[in-house]
Amino acid sequence: MLCLGIESTAHTFAASIIKYTFTESSLKNINLRNLRNSYARILSDSRDVYFPPKGSGIHPRIASRHHAEVSADILKQCIKEAGLSIRDIDIIAYSAGPGLGPCLRVGAVISRMLASFYKKPIVPVNHALGHVELGMMLTCADDPLVLLVSGGHTMILAFSQKRWRVFGETLDITIGNLLDQFGRANGFSSPCGDQIERLSSRSSGTYIRLPYTVKGNDVSFSGLLSAAKRLAEKRMREGMHFAEVCYSLQETAFAMMTETIERAISFTGKKEVLVVGGVAANKRLREMLENACERHSSKLFISPNKFAGDNGCQIAWVGIIDFLFREKEIKIEKSFVHQSWRVDTIDVNWRAT
Amino acid sequence: MSKGAEADIYRTRWFGNNAVSKVRVKKPYRQKLLDYEIRKNRTLREATMLSIAKEIGVRTPFVYFVDPISAEIVMEFIEGKNLKEDMNESLALEMGRCTGLLHTNNIIHNDLTTSNFIKAANNQLVLLDFGLSFLSGRLEDKAVDIRLVKEVFFSSYVSICDLAFPKFLLGYSSVIGQKTMRATLKKVLEIELRGRYSRIA
Repeated sequence: MLCLGIESTAHTFAASIIKYTFTESSLKNINLRNLRNSYARILSDSRDVYFPPKGSGIHPRIASRHHAEVSADILKQCIKEAGLSIRDIDIIAYSAGPGLGPCLRVGAVISRMLASFYKKPIVPVNHALGHVELGMMLTCADDPLVLLVSGGHTMILAFSQKRWRVFGETLDITIGNLLDQFGRANGFSSPCGDQIERLSSRSSGTYIRLPYTVKGNDVSFSGLLSAAKRLAEKRMREGMHFAEVCYSLQETAFAMMTETIERAISFTGKKEVLVVGGVAANKRLREMLENACERHSSKLFISPNKFAGDNGCQIAWVGIIDFLFREKEIKIEKSFVHQSWRVDTIDVNWRAT
Repeated sequence: MSKGAEADIYRTRWFGNNAVSKVRVKKPYRQKLLDYEIRKNRTLREATMLSIAKEIGVRTPFVYFVDPISAEIVMEFIEGKNLKEDMNESLALEMGRCTGLLHTNNIIHNDLTTSNFIKAANNQLVLLDFGLSFLSGRLEDKAVDIRLVKEVFFSSYVSICDLAFPKFLLGYSSVIGQKTMRATLKKVLEIELRGRYSRIA
């Protein structure tokens, strides 16, 4: 079974083909365990990222135009890389939310077009669910607490009773927003996480006080953002280097994240932690989480760098499992996009308990 | 005795009484200065608030000894069971009453999870862990508190939350009054809408 996944929620347009091979036994007894172990293969993975100009964020319309422009090439490249023809594909999956409306619509229109022209079933996929499930597949985590950290999400999730339930999240902006908006205010081009990380690793290691806001299992970053921006401005005015501000920002934000993870571990008693999403690539965050997991003797799984950020595989993979466990196919005229589609509102059919 | 998210708990004796010692341990992952300040401030905060809460009629352990530098509090040992393991609707009502008492006196607990309540004798609830708490009369802060309760109920007690959460609110409003409760709930919704992707269409 071959699934083409099309991702277009924000700055990335990506397409990927995943092949799932049925065996005698798995055909009789489809469960997730034999689905994810060794039978799924990523055949191709092509992406093109829209980079906004220095100092500004993603403009939804311009990003969607970028997606529309590169879409044909990315699809061609994706199919060629897999060594297939579009007619071989069995399922078309697309990211239906959450994300930027204009960008989502590009992916949805392309998928509907392919699905209706080649008469293939179509599967709308939740982007966040994609991050989580792909992470589960790649790391073979069993029953983890999931930390989803990206430009669009900052959430702590655990599976219970048919759904991924939220055990903690940000009350306002995400950790990706925090890093990007801080970076952009200082003239970086987004995504800024990488540059902030490099700068702070070169800093002297002097910590400057910044607001640290943990509310139970939740965090709030907006006050930290304002304070960090103000501090950076002041430093610039005084002609001082602002690497220390980057350092303090990272230290504060990641310590907040790690503390909430610790709280969630001790509350849920989970023995595994899985980190997915773009910010999972940050080495300092990994180091802190490793340390915290060690204290609670939990095992830490981190999504491989290549698949931490937005990609097509996450969509293709959820497309396959959702299709296999779905009772009814979704009609093309019923295929939707939903800008604010929370992951904890989706019934997951393929996981037990 | 146990290892919590931020502190280690030990059973000890204090002048003939059964006691627990709560030590906020150093976190090697945290920047040193940040770590020191967090541990010191929370220890002081907790010790103060445990006493204030007792004054207004919420049962909390007695504080015997505080050392802000090593971030240690020695307090009364409470016989009972953690509410997390033994949750039901009538206890949700009691939990709501406790929360109402705190809020009418402008105490924001800021970590109202079920694991911070102990069910002592006669189903009486004892509230712990005031490390994140503060004094505030703002509706916003109270609503953040209630939002956390809601999050905990709807993530950890899925099978009973449809009955238990209204019970909690009933207990809450019995102290704080219908009108204030409704205003708080409205604020909770507002906070939820501020969150990510929550405009439920």
